[in-house]
Amino acid sequence: MSAVIARRSFLKGSAIAVAGASLALERAPAWAQKRELTMLSFNHFVPASDDELRRQADVFSKQAGVTVRVDTIAGPQMFAKRAAEVSSQSGHDVIVTGAADPFLYEQQLVDMGDLVDHLGGRYGGWYPFAKETCHTASGWRAVPWFWVAFVGSYNEVQFKKAGVQAPKTWDDLLKAGKVLKKQGNPVGIPISQCTDANITFWSVLWCAGGKVLEPDGKTPAINSDKAAGVVEWYKELYKDAMEPEVLSWDNASNNRFLLSGKGSWIHNPISPYVAAVEKKMPIADEINHHNSPGGPGGIHSATGVNSLGIWKFSKNIPLAKDFIKFLFEKENYNAFIKGGSAFNQPPLRGFAEHPIWASHPKYAMLPKEAEYVHEQGWPAKPNAAVQLIVVNFVLPNMVAKAIAGMPTKRALAWGEDQIRLALQGKLETKGK
Amino acid sequence: MAVGTRVLETVGRARPGRLARAREWWEQEHVFGYSLIVPALALIAGLVAYPFAMAIYFSLSDYWVGSPGSFVGLQNFRDILGNEIFRQTVSNSFVFTIIAVILKAVLGIWLAMLLFRPLRFKRLIRGAVLLPWVIPTALSVLAWRWMFDSLYSVVNWTGIRLGLMNPPGPNWLGMADYAMSAVIAVNVWRGLPFFAIIVLAGLVSIPREYYEAAEVDGASSWGRFRHVTLPLLKPVLAVVILFSTIFTFSDFNIVQVLTAGGPVNTTHLFATFAYQMGLTGGNLGQGAAVSLFLFPLLAAIVFIQLRYIRKE
Repeated sequence: MSAVIARRSFLKGSAIAVAGASLALERAPAWAQKRELTMLSFNHFVPASDDELRRQADVFSKQAGVTVRVDTIAGPQMFAKRAAEVSSQSGHDVIVTGAADPFLYEQQLVDMGDLVDHLGGRYGGWYPFAKETCHTASGWRAVPWFWVAFVGSYNEVQFKKAGVQAPKTWDDLLKAGKVLKKQGNPVGIPISQCTDANITFWSVLWCAGGKVLEPDGKTPAINSDKAAGVVEWYKELYKDAMEPEVLSWDNASNNRFLLSGKGSWIHNPISPYVAAVEKKMPIADEINHHNSPGGPGGIHSATGVNSLGIWKFSKNIPLAKDFIKFLFEKENYNAFIKGGSAFNQPPLRGFAEHPIWASHPKYAMLPKEAEYVHEQGWPAKPNAAVQLIVVNFVLPNMVAKAIAGMPTKRALAWGEDQIRLALQGKLETKGK
Repeated sequence: MAVGTRVLETVGRARPGRLARAREWWEQEHVFGYSLIVPALALIAGLVAYPFAMAIYFSLSDYWVGSPGSFVGLQNFRDILGNEIFRQTVSNSFVFTIIAVILKAVLGIWLAMLLFRPLRFKRLIRGAVLLPWVIPTALSVLAWRWMFDSLYSVVNWTGIRLGLMNPPGPNWLGMADYAMSAVIAVNVWRGLPFFAIIVLAGLVSIPREYYEAAEVDGASSWGRFRHVTLPLLKPVLAVVILFSTIFTFSDFNIVQVLTAGGPVNTTHLFATFAYQMGLTGGNLGQGAAVSLFLFPLLAAIVFIQLRYIRKE
């Protein structure tokens, strides 16, 4: 008993001594100094965007008297990193999520409803895709952060020479593409195992009025006349307006294709133009953008929405929410848009007035894209089955099979089989 | 045998101290021996046995990245066997491994024989041969990706200039057969030095007298290779083929960077498909089941080859 008392006395004495020393030094002792808040993101395509994020983290650190550490890793490593952090229940506080993540990690992410309501009320409301991508059946599991528009990037000089206009619909693209290919300037849509191939297929299918899954998220809807029409459209585009190289493309191939001066049109973010300007390539003057094409089903464009989630195991949840709120302060978010060279498009209507778009004629159409955008999976939520359909490249592979000679009906049946398999292994969550 | 404390007390000598007794216990052969291997065992248990046991557990559960899941028995294995992409992956893996290992063995022996000859700058050349094996795979495969690029392929450019190909040349990474040839070519390029250097070590260990005796008996160079070199290289070749088969079957980087399993899954291997299902797709249960399919295959190969080596 006496030993216990002695230990207590010692601890009490020590605490008084440390507090006294702290007062004397006017700051906390080293071990009690600043809490650390950590964030994990992917390496941004525009490195200056990450620089701006870190600058803002430093400002927040000073204001809140904490240390904010922003770690960035290669995008493809994010899948493994998220899984590892959840498995070990340790890691970063704030994590960048995307696509189906808020649904896959529904049980692991903190509810963000309060923050979403606050930001929506303050900055003009969220675009519809924000709810589609981050709101699960159990609530908001992430705060939509930024998204990147897939628009038509085209070579104006080649279009003018061929006497064709920038396409307003996918059928317009087919017609123009036939003329452009004869001129020696084919158009290009990847039909391969890459992200861009997925994104464009969803866009074309939606515009034709088709869908992959019913809104319930568990009934396949790909085997339809509308989807058959899309596959036929792809076959014709491949034969008469594109080159076979699209079967091997990765995400950067279409950029090279346009910048080489050979390609006349691609469906992509504005990255080729940004790269051409940065590298002072003469072709920059020839490139322009137009809104993603539409069709009989309206104008719809797929994208990947990047969002911010907080792990439930985080010991800094209120602080992490404050940090996210800070990133959305008007001054900060505007600087973030600027740092990302117009890549970082806002999910909040209030930021659509940023001068970067209005002041640049080639970017002027970008804010409008937000009205057409959906996360892959729509009209279903981007659930676990959608994730498998996307990462297994079921949709571009279905088209590639048809191009290789498989009858369209059989290709669609193959796609439907794969979708059924994805649904079979579907994660059971509240947000199904 | 340690002397008992009672005996010491009886003869009037002081009992040994606690430290001395601990030391005495520690120096016993069975204690000391096992203590030496404990660190290695802990390492194997932590880095091999535990992840392996976890993989087995995952493969028997419907474990997703964000939720723990429950036991589902062999359901994942049944599901992936019913998946055409998986069946394609199995076929790809065999084609890839068999062709790549044969090419590496034949070219590796040939390269080793060349390196074995007296050459100027022998050390420099032997060092240079190892380069493909030393350079980080992801980097070198990126360079290969550029060489097979649809727009800027230096392979096609050279072939067309030499009149060996018709413009625009093969679509290397866009057509199934070409893509498989491309991933095999890069795997052979990377794995060849490993083969060559180990075979070279085997060649160096063959006594010169055998060759001299064969020459005296009038053996041609092919005869010397067939009746002297090859039989004496057999144990080394068996080991190197064993290792190469395991490395090739479980290859990941080359396919992931070069084709990501495409076109239309025609170059997927077990590792790339398991990664796609388990980590990017989030279905850890099925991903683990895909990767575990590799285990009995490799175990059988190791068993057969080790038996053969022991016999030799």
